[in-house]
Amino acid sequence: MNRLTEILRGPTAALLHKEFLEAWRDRRALWMAVCFSLLFPAMLAGGSIFMVKKQAEEISRLALLGSASAPLLEQRLRGGGLEVDALAEGDPAELLAGDYDIVLWVQEGFAEEYRNFGAPPLYLYIDSSSSSSPRAQRHLQERLGALQQLVVQQRVTARGLAPQLLAPWRLEVRDVSTPSRRGAVLLAMVPGLLILTLFVASLATSVDTSAGERERLSLETLLLQPLPGWQVILAKTLAVASMGWAGALLALVALVSLMPLMPLAELGIQQATTLSGVLTMGLLLLPLALLVAVVQILLALRSGSFKDAQTQLSILQVAPVLLLMMLDMSRVELGGFFWQLVPLVGQQQWLKALLVGESVPAATLLAGSAATLLLVAVAIRLGARALQREALLSAA
Amino acid sequence: MIEVNSISKAFAGRPVLRELDFRVPDGRITALLGANGAGKTSCLRIIGGLLRADSGTVRVGGIDVARDPLAVQRQLGVVGDREGLYERLTVEEYLTLFARMQGLAGAALRESLEYVRRELELEPLWRRRTRGFSQGERMKVSLARALVHRPQHLILDEPTRGLDVLAARLLRRTLLRLRDAGTTILFSSHVMSEVLELSDSVLVMARGCIVGSGTPQALIREAGCSNLEDAFVALAYGDRQAGEVPA
Repeated sequence: MNRLTEILRGPTAALLHKEFLEAWRDRRALWMAVCFSLLFPAMLAGGSIFMVKKQAEEISRLALLGSASAPLLEQRLRGGGLEVDALAEGDPAELLAGDYDIVLWVQEGFAEEYRNFGAPPLYLYIDSSSSSSPRAQRHLQERLGALQQLVVQQRVTARGLAPQLLAPWRLEVRDVSTPSRRGAVLLAMVPGLLILTLFVASLATSVDTSAGERERLSLETLLLQPLPGWQVILAKTLAVASMGWAGALLALVALVSLMPLMPLAELGIQQATTLSGVLTMGLLLLPLALLVAVVQILLALRSGSFKDAQTQLSILQVAPVLLLMMLDMSRVELGGFFWQLVPLVGQQQWLKALLVGESVPAATLLAGSAATLLLVAVAIRLGARALQREALLSAA
Repeated sequence: MIEVNSISKAFAGRPVLRELDFRVPDGRITALLGANGAGKTSCLRIIGGLLRADSGTVRVGGIDVARDPLAVQRQLGVVGDREGLYERLTVEEYLTLFARMQGLAGAALRESLEYVRRELELEPLWRRRTRGFSQGERMKVSLARALVHRPQHLILDEPTRGLDVLAARLLRRTLLRLRDAGTTILFSSHVMSEVLELSDSVLVMARGCIVGSGTPQALIREAGCSNLEDAFVALAYGDRQAGEVPA
C-alpha cells in the first residue's frame, strides 16, 4: 500500500501527469482524434441509409396513360422492379415532375391495330435530367422486351414456324445479392475502421511527444531527470494510448448510438450488439491501443525530424488496414487459436464476433491480450534503449 | 566536487574529447572556455549522464556517473544550450512537475517552489503558459527548473546566449548568490567579460582537451597577454594566431 502511494505521489506519477497534461492540452491532436472518431460512424450510418435508399430506388414508378386501349399491357408490365399505375388521363410532363419516373402512353386504336398484326406505336415519356429515369427506362425495356418476345413467338407459332428461329436463346440476369449480404459487407468494415481509429487518433500525440519534444529541445531536459528510460517511454505510451483509446471508444459509442437511426433491419442486420459486448470491445482495444502507441513512439524517435515522423506514421496507419484486407483476400482461415494471438488479427476477429452478438471465449481474449501486452513490454524496453542513442541528442 | 578523469569520446570515429581531465572544486564557479566544436557540450552531457564516455570516469559528489547516473542526476541541476520548455504547461505546473520528478513532495515541494519564485522573480510569469516567452523569460524558467530541487552542483551551457542586459544581470547575480551558498557551478561561455566577472577559475578547452587552467588573472599571466581574450586565443590556438588578433 505504501509502495503504491509512493508511486502515485512520486516521480513516476509526476512524469505521467506531465505526459497526460501535454497530450490532452494539444488542441490539434484532440481535434484530429475527435473528428476522425466521429467521422467513421457517421459515414457508416450514411452508407447504410444510402444502401437502403438505393434499394428503395430499385422500384421504378410508371404511369400508363390510355391503358383502356391495351388492358393486358398493364398486367404484363407489373413486376421486375416496375410499379404501374393505370391512369385514364394526364399530362406526361406533369406526371414526370411528380411521383412518376416514366410515362407510357398508349394511343387510341392500339388494340385494333395489334389484333390486325400491325405494329402500333407506344409513346415513352422520360425526363433525361432525372437520375431515376434511365433506370426506369431499363426496367420498362426489360419488361417490354420479354412481352415483345412472347408476342412474336405467338405470332410465329400461329404461322406454323418454330419460335427458336428468331430467338435461339434467352438471357435472364438474376442478382443473387440479398440485403442481408450487402449489410454484412458494411458491418465487416467496422473492426478495421475501429483499429484504424486507434492509429489516427493517437498519431498527432505520438509525434508530438517524441519527435516534437526532440525538435523543441525539451527531451534532453527530461532525460536529465533521475528517471529510468523505460519509465519515460511507459509514461509517453500511456499518454498516447489514452488518446487513441479514447478515440476508438468515442467511435464505438457513436456507432452504437447511431445504430437505432440506421436502417439495419432493412439491410437484414440484426442489431445484436449488447452493452456487455460494447464494454468488452472497449476493453479488448486497450492492449492494442498501447501497442499502437509504443510502436508509433519508437518510429517517431527513430525519424530524422517532426515532418519525417509524420510521414512515417501516416504510412504506418494504413498498414494495419492493408494487412487485414490482404488476409481477408487470401482467404486464410483466421479462426484458429494461433491467429487469435496475433495482434490486430485477433482483435479484428473478436470485434467481428462481438458486433453481431456472438461471444468470444474469455480464455482466448485473455491469451490474445496477454500476447499483445508482451509485445508492448518488449517495445518499451526497445524504446528505453532508443533513448540512449546519441543521435537523439545530436539532433538537438 | 566534479571530477573528470581522462575521458575520451568519439562520434562516428571522429574524436571529440581526448583524455580530458579536470576538477571543479566545491563552492566555486568554474568557467569552461572553448571555441565552437571544442567539445564543451559533449563534456557537459557526459557529466549530466546523457552521454557515455568511451573511456575514463566522471564523478559528481563522489558518485560515478556511468555506474549510477540517476543518483548523479538527483544532485545535479543542468541548464542546457537552447533549452525547450513545455509550452502547454504554466510555469507553476512546469516547475512543480520537475520538482516532483526529482522526488520532492509536500512541504519541501512548496518551500522549493517558493524559493525559485522569489529568487528568480517569477511572480509575473507564475500562472502563464510558457508559449511565447521571451529568451530571458525562458532562461529564468529553465534556471528555476534546474534549481528547484536545490542541487549541490549546477551545470550551465552558454547560459547568457541571447539574453538581454537585465536577464543576464539577474542570471549573474543568481549564480554568485548560489556560489556563496556553497553550490558548485560549472558553466561554458564565449563571453570573456562574463567569465572575468563570474568565474573563480577557468578551464580553457581546445581540440577536445584542457590546454590551460587557473584563475583568469593567472591565465593572462601564463599566456603573457594583457587580457583574457588574447590569453584564450594564445592558449587555444598558439602564439601565431594570438598575434593575428587585433588588440
